[in-house]
Amino acid sequence: MTPASKQYLPPEVLARIGRLDLRARAVVEGVLTGMHKSPYKGNSVEFLQHREYTRGDDLRRVDWKVWGRQDRFYVKEYENETNLRLFLLVDGSASMDYIPPRFDQTLGLTKYDYAATLATSLAWLGLSQGDAVGASIFDERVRTSVPARTNRSHLSSLIAGLEKPRQKHHSDFHSVLRNLAENLPRRGLVIIFSDLFGERDALYKGLQVLRQRGHDVAICHVLDDDELDFPFDGPTRFEGLELGGEISCNPRALRDGYLQAMEQFLGEVRHRSAASQCDYQLVRTSQAVDKTLVNFLSRRSKTRGRS
Amino acid sequence: MPSFDFITLLWWGLPLAAAPIVIHLINLLRHRVVRWPAMEFLLASQRKYRTRILLRQLLLLLLRVLAIMGLVLLFAQPRWVTNLGSILGSSRTRHVVLLDDSYSMGEVLRTEVSPDVPPTTAMSRSCTMIERLLEELASTPGQQDFSLGRISKLTQSNDKNSPNDKNSSNSPEKESKGNRFDIYTEIITPKNVDSARVNVKKLRPSADTTQITPAIRNITPLFSGDDGSGVLWLLTDLRKTDWTMSADIAEALKPLADKGIEIHIVDTATAESDTNILQNLSRPNLVVERIEMIGGTPVANVLLPWEVTVRNYSSSPSQQVSLAIQEDLLDRPGVQIDRIPPGDSATIQFESRFQTTGRHTVQVELPADRLSLDNYRTATVEVVDEAEVLVITTTSNRNSLDDDSFYLTTALNPGTTAATGLRPRIEPPRALTTLDLNTYDSVWLLDVPRLDAAAIRALEDYARSGGGVVFFVGPNTDYKTMNNSLFRDGEGLFPVPLAGAVDLLKDQQNPNAPDITAEDHPVVAILSGRRNPFLDAVNVDRYMAVERTYQPPPDSGLRRLLSLRNNSFLAVEKPFGKGMGVAFLSTAAPTWNNWARNNPSWVVVILELERHLARLRRQYKTILIGQPIEIDLEQGIDRVDVDFLLPPENRIVHEIAAMNQDGNLVAVMNNTLEPGIYKARWQTVAGVRQEWTAAVNINPTEGNLERLPVTELPESLSGVSFLYDRADNLKPTNENRGSSSLVQPILFILLIILLCEQLLSYSVSYHRAHKKI
Repeated sequence: MTPASKQYLPPEVLARIGRLDLRARAVVEGVLTGMHKSPYKGNSVEFLQHREYTRGDDLRRVDWKVWGRQDRFYVKEYENETNLRLFLLVDGSASMDYIPPRFDQTLGLTKYDYAATLATSLAWLGLSQGDAVGASIFDERVRTSVPARTNRSHLSSLIAGLEKPRQKHHSDFHSVLRNLAENLPRRGLVIIFSDLFGERDALYKGLQVLRQRGHDVAICHVLDDDELDFPFDGPTRFEGLELGGEISCNPRALRDGYLQAMEQFLGEVRHRSAASQCDYQLVRTSQAVDKTLVNFLSRRSKTRGRS
Repeated sequence: MPSFDFITLLWWGLPLAAAPIVIHLINLLRHRVVRWPAMEFLLASQRKYRTRILLRQLLLLLLRVLAIMGLVLLFAQPRWVTNLGSILGSSRTRHVVLLDDSYSMGEVLRTEVSPDVPPTTAMSRSCTMIERLLEELASTPGQQDFSLGRISKLTQSNDKNSPNDKNSSNSPEKESKGNRFDIYTEIITPKNVDSARVNVKKLRPSADTTQITPAIRNITPLFSGDDGSGVLWLLTDLRKTDWTMSADIAEALKPLADKGIEIHIVDTATAESDTNILQNLSRPNLVVERIEMIGGTPVANVLLPWEVTVRNYSSSPSQQVSLAIQEDLLDRPGVQIDRIPPGDSATIQFESRFQTTGRHTVQVELPADRLSLDNYRTATVEVVDEAEVLVITTTSNRNSLDDDSFYLTTALNPGTTAATGLRPRIEPPRALTTLDLNTYDSVWLLDVPRLDAAAIRALEDYARSGGGVVFFVGPNTDYKTMNNSLFRDGEGLFPVPLAGAVDLLKDQQNPNAPDITAEDHPVVAILSGRRNPFLDAVNVDRYMAVERTYQPPPDSGLRRLLSLRNNSFLAVEKPFGKGMGVAFLSTAAPTWNNWARNNPSWVVVILELERHLARLRRQYKTILIGQPIEIDLEQGIDRVDVDFLLPPENRIVHEIAAMNQDGNLVAVMNNTLEPGIYKARWQTVAGVRQEWTAAVNINPTEGNLERLPVTELPESLSGVSFLYDRADNLKPTNENRGSSSLVQPILFILLIILLCEQLLSYSVSYHRAHKKI
């Protein structure tokens, strides 16, 4: 069965699963069932060079073939001796709490819920392959941080961190990303789950900092359909979730201008992400999470193949 | 200047124009609240489009308000008055309504099924139209001066106004003029329009005829000095009789038309809804044209002959027309006219008898038709105990069978078995100068040889004033003296010149031929037309011949009553002043003829002759509506205070008698605006009560309902710019006042507004666009 033919879990169905771990499990099981094998197989490492044996070296690393030909003891050195370090950065600002008015406000899946489900699913996959997975929730600063670990029981710590109550302030990407870059002990893959609503220059600077520290950065730009299509009709008062302020208007009168501004924003983010060599993916919350996950993983494997 | 047919709808509808604003405000309160994350982009969009959106929304709001206003305007039927005064900014308009209130305006044009609903008449239609005009004026911007006058009142002279007005000697001229109007000059406003309408509702047709020309001249000063515009509304039923003098009407209207006054001829007598009238010009109507007592002396307990004439104003004959008769308001058997030819009249006679002396009334009435006022007519008659007849004779043996006076007085007063009411008084010729001849019904001279100049003068004065004088000739008559003193070559009272007494020779060829023949004359009408045995029995032996060469002048009015077998005159009359002289060229006694001896036709002819002569003296003057009643009083005998009792409710009007130009004491009543019986009461100096009665009747010509063809109206009023309207469908502010309907332009503008509103609504994204990122 090909991935395209599988039945994905629609967000509406996923929203009925209250616990994050169960949601992630439902997503990951679907992904695994569809892919048969994980792209992160075993602890394989890449050969770098030979060096002369010194005392203390592990005898298991002595290259006996070289000793047979040259009668000298050389030890094999590998490029990396550990698995992938995956760090999940989830935006917990107020703007991530948007639920479309057409949904029940208590049962709907917010952008944060969607992002957390996606992040947990990735964490699940990473841990199952032996990768070290850590996570942080941020708004104007990092509110919750779970260090990267490789043991599978670490998943519960990650989930507990993602489910912690949030402060729901506005996002400050620069300080958060800079702080993250400074505090991450090793290079790894940083995946940002956010709607990216905030100071845009600060975002780009933060991405630069991460890249300068050698991190591989991927952005999951999580947006609701309403934010992309602006389908509102009739007299409406819009109250700002994060920035404050309000507008009473006929939405249709402002739709064109809004969509233009949104398109410009998306284009700019896409362009600057590419310029910073960050992997960028726009994710609609109406899209099935497992499908989004598959798309993300396949996109990542292609990107790694190219590099 | 815009005006509206339904201004009330405008006042009620205009507040609806605020509906879009109210809906907009309500929508502001009914906003759905959305907590929105991407406020940044929304704010950017708002910053970008704020001005445009605001302008579009305001424009949209304005268009919707205009659309509702346009709709309300359409219902209010706006019009644009384009008269010059309005264009130049003058806000004052004078409206003068001149109402034809002749009695033909009471013609019933339409009857309703329910008897409780009064029928529609030309007058009621006029009142409705005036009320509509008042309503319109009340809602028209600017000062609207309104005057209303009826033609019957406007054509009265000043002294014909009500007595109260007349007695107020200090009333200025303007007030006197104002009293002729029902509404003199009033600025019509919504507050006083109801009181004006009350005045209009009181209007009724008068009993008068129409005199349009003087009425127009009387209202013309109202338009003098007006700086605003003026409109004259002439409401009339366009009867042909009223418009025969249309040239005069045009002449009276021309100064107004030249001044720019809008002239509306409003036809009140035709409408599409009239169910029981013919739309053509001829409208059948029967009119009692005349009622008159044709007898000589009305005496108590004597049958009085009357004649009544009915005219048929139609194009078809009227059959079996019944006439109801009342004597002193008591019904008596009526009479019936078999046939009245179209456009012609028919006369029928009837008799009445009154038991008592004094004034009595006789009224005849036709069956009800579409015009009631001309269906009846009233006459009064002064019934006396007896009437004196003066008989002049020179003989002293008055009871002799050979005496003329015996046979004459016997014929005039046969005795108690046949009362004639006549009392002959036999006097010698000198009595002509000593007696007051005016107290006698007639004067009879029997074979008087000659008369002195004073007697002749007295006789001729008597005849001039309406008296009748009969001359019987005989053996004593000096024909030459008669010719010289009484005939005087045709200037005198005696009708013919005499040539002397001659014998009537026997007719040898036709010995049975009657000696006398009756001519076509009312006195002998009863004997004429067929062979009469009584007349055939009369033998004339001798008579006074007329000069052979005498040829009466054509304008002498000479008329034969009786002729002899040889075609000579036997009895002939000649008008003299208001009276008449009659010559009987033979003797009254059976001296020259045997007529008076045992021949009933003698009595008949003498009584008919007396009635014929007395009628001249007792001719009752027909008083028509609007004509004054004059009571002759005797100075020194009668008091000058006279009370007139006016119909129909016997309203008492006090008048004081005054000397007229002839030096006679006369009490005058000018207020004769209602038909019926008018009474006058006064006292003599001695305290004796006197009463006088007269009948005032309508002018029968107004009963001719034939209308002037509307197509002839422009020709009749050539040179005068006017508008013809019909009262039933006239809209006062319509094109008749130079206004034009604004309905179509507003409808067109409204459609444009609605189209713009739709386009603008679409452009401000009220319609879904399919654009996705």
